[in-house]
Amino acid sequence: MTGFGKKLALILGSLLLLGAGAGAALAADSIKVGVVLPLTGSQAKFGEIEKNSFMLALEEINAAGGVNGKKIELVMEDDTGKPDVGRSAIEKLITQDQVSVVTGGYSSSVTFAMAAVAQQRKVPFVVVTGSDDKITEQKWNYVFRINPPASEYPKALGSFLTEVVKPQSVVILYENTNFGQSSSKAFVKDCEDMGLKILMKEGYEAGAVDFKPLLTKVKAANPDLIYMVSYVMDASLLMRQAKELDINPKLFVGGGAGFTLPEFVKNAGPAAEFVFSATLWTETVPFPGAREYVKKYADKFKEETEYHGAEAYAGMYVVADALKRAKAVEPDAVREALAATDLMTAFGPVKFISYDKKTQQNSLPTYLVQWQKGELETVWPKELATKPAVYPVPKWSER
Amino acid sequence: MLRERGWELSLLAVLLVFPLAVQDAYFRHLMILVLLWVTIGTGWNLLAGYTGQVSFGTAAFFGVGAYTAGLLAHHLEISAWWGLLLGGPLAVLVGFPFGWISFPLRGAYFALGSLALGEIMRLLATVWESLTEGMVGILIMQTFVSKVPYYYLALGLALASILVMELVTRSRLGYYFVSIREDQDAAASIGIDTTRYKMVSLSLHAFLTGTAGALYMNYMGFIDPQVVFSLSDISIMAILVVIVGGVGTIMGPVVGAFVMVAVQEIFRSGGFGGLKALTQAVGGGFLPVLTKYITQAHVLAFGVLVVVVIMTLPNGIVGDWSRIKRALRRG
Repeated sequence: MTGFGKKLALILGSLLLLGAGAGAALAADSIKVGVVLPLTGSQAKFGEIEKNSFMLALEEINAAGGVNGKKIELVMEDDTGKPDVGRSAIEKLITQDQVSVVTGGYSSSVTFAMAAVAQQRKVPFVVVTGSDDKITEQKWNYVFRINPPASEYPKALGSFLTEVVKPQSVVILYENTNFGQSSSKAFVKDCEDMGLKILMKEGYEAGAVDFKPLLTKVKAANPDLIYMVSYVMDASLLMRQAKELDINPKLFVGGGAGFTLPEFVKNAGPAAEFVFSATLWTETVPFPGAREYVKKYADKFKEETEYHGAEAYAGMYVVADALKRAKAVEPDAVREALAATDLMTAFGPVKFISYDKKTQQNSLPTYLVQWQKGELETVWPKELATKPAVYPVPKWSER
Repeated sequence: MLRERGWELSLLAVLLVFPLAVQDAYFRHLMILVLLWVTIGTGWNLLAGYTGQVSFGTAAFFGVGAYTAGLLAHHLEISAWWGLLLGGPLAVLVGFPFGWISFPLRGAYFALGSLALGEIMRLLATVWESLTEGMVGILIMQTFVSKVPYYYLALGLALASILVMELVTRSRLGYYFVSIREDQDAAASIGIDTTRYKMVSLSLHAFLTGTAGALYMNYMGFIDPQVVFSLSDISIMAILVVIVGGVGTIMGPVVGAFVMVAVQEIFRSGGFGGLKALTQAVGGGFLPVLTKYITQAHVLAFGVLVVVVIMTLPNGIVGDWSRIKRALRRG
């Protein structure tokens, strides 16, 4: 062997050792749980909030004695927001780390791709955020979902519209992403059921730099209601430009996602005032531990959390609960335990049931919130409202 | 010939027995990705490395292949495996009008045209929801749970693409391609129909890439426009695979594919979790900090590595092999 060959062999050998060392060094007295989240890339901000929330819940669970005397250990993987990377990540968790349950799943497309792997390899996957309806419509018995599917985000909005606003016409704007396309499609159906006339339904490329051409068309259509599915920067720009163009529908409603984040009000400024949004959770929900979670998060990480974090926080508790009840720490036993879940969490009651076309889907109420004086207030359902809804919304020129 | 081909044949032998030696599904998965990238890289190398037509539109053909397989299964309930046969020809069909319009353009203008093609296809797949389901994507269940069939299919495809490359470069066609790359006007003046041969090169590229796309759909089971028509993850990645490996060399894309996929994954997973294990074993000091930064900034770290490779090895790993050997001997 030449000197060069030896060196090459040495390098390759040490790389292999590095890989082999991974399996051996892990302690045997802990239970490994796989978590896949977008920790880099465009969704990293939400991935970070969820990661922190998983860690927060993990600390509490382990401090309280773990699972039947064993501590839980999280194996975090970064899906970078891409389905193929997510697939690699869950494959690694299942075959290399040999976890008996996987949780996480942020974007719909990544979650969808990962769920197929989990089902095929018969390892339970507890979805906390991925919201495409189809994920729990495949009759996959290893896939569980804590969060409501995208089509149910505007549930609370529906009753608010029929009881209070009674609008005649609507314009729907959505970003061309999985979340945008699937939830706008679902909202179209809701509108048809309510007998609302859809004047315009238009998708846009997420991360647009100017919405004025689109909004000019909206202004000409002059709808009672403008419904938007957008992430935070697009949401802010849409509202700022709607204010500039003096567009005055009876109400502006965001379909979750960007419209409930603190960054939205920071970026949109006064244009955010009185904007409604559908949401899955706020800190004022009547579930035990919700307020405490928000406070603990703020104390520990020095920033605000939001509903994605609550989903992850609850997800950790659901997994720990199932591990406690499982007859053995192996995928099938954990799957059975998960199927029998009946747990109250900070995100709401969790119970995996079948309804419509869905299986092993948790069913939760959703809420309508409104920005009032820079604060996000719950306004619907009425019995849970922190402030009454400001309606009708004053015109931009009359504020 | 056997002697000069020694390492290539031993590589082939290793690849043939790989799934038997390595049972771990995760490493098999990574190797399947490597082999897919060998095919895509080889296709790009043929068009850009040999014929001199730098394309930023690889994703267009990859996506057409993938959607061919996906839509057959989704709309017509025909097995997605037919995509493996139809994906390539359909990608070629998309390539024809594109080539016809853009081959009169040269250099950077052709590159820009190809960039536009990729984006047009992505937008089309995003907006045409009734056909493609838009960003919701298309999901099919894979035929096999085991990775072994996919592995050998990917290996077969990679071998076929290298074989095509070998045959083309040895034939008259290969000389036509190189002459077009070196000087299009000179090539035209000695009677080579440059537009026609550029079209042949483009078709071969589209065919290989489209077939790889169809195999990707069958293997991954999920596609959406952002995944398969991605500018950065497909078109640019194809270019990087070839540049890192060695432009205009047959084995360049092979080496490049391995380096790009493996190194990216090593960074993403912190040395397959090895760094973390090492930290736990050694404890304290410098290592935990290093681990934390590498795993948190893996995309950046990987990017820096690629830049360094390109700067120090302008002809790629295969192209600059003698330089690497010399440097290592000295060191």
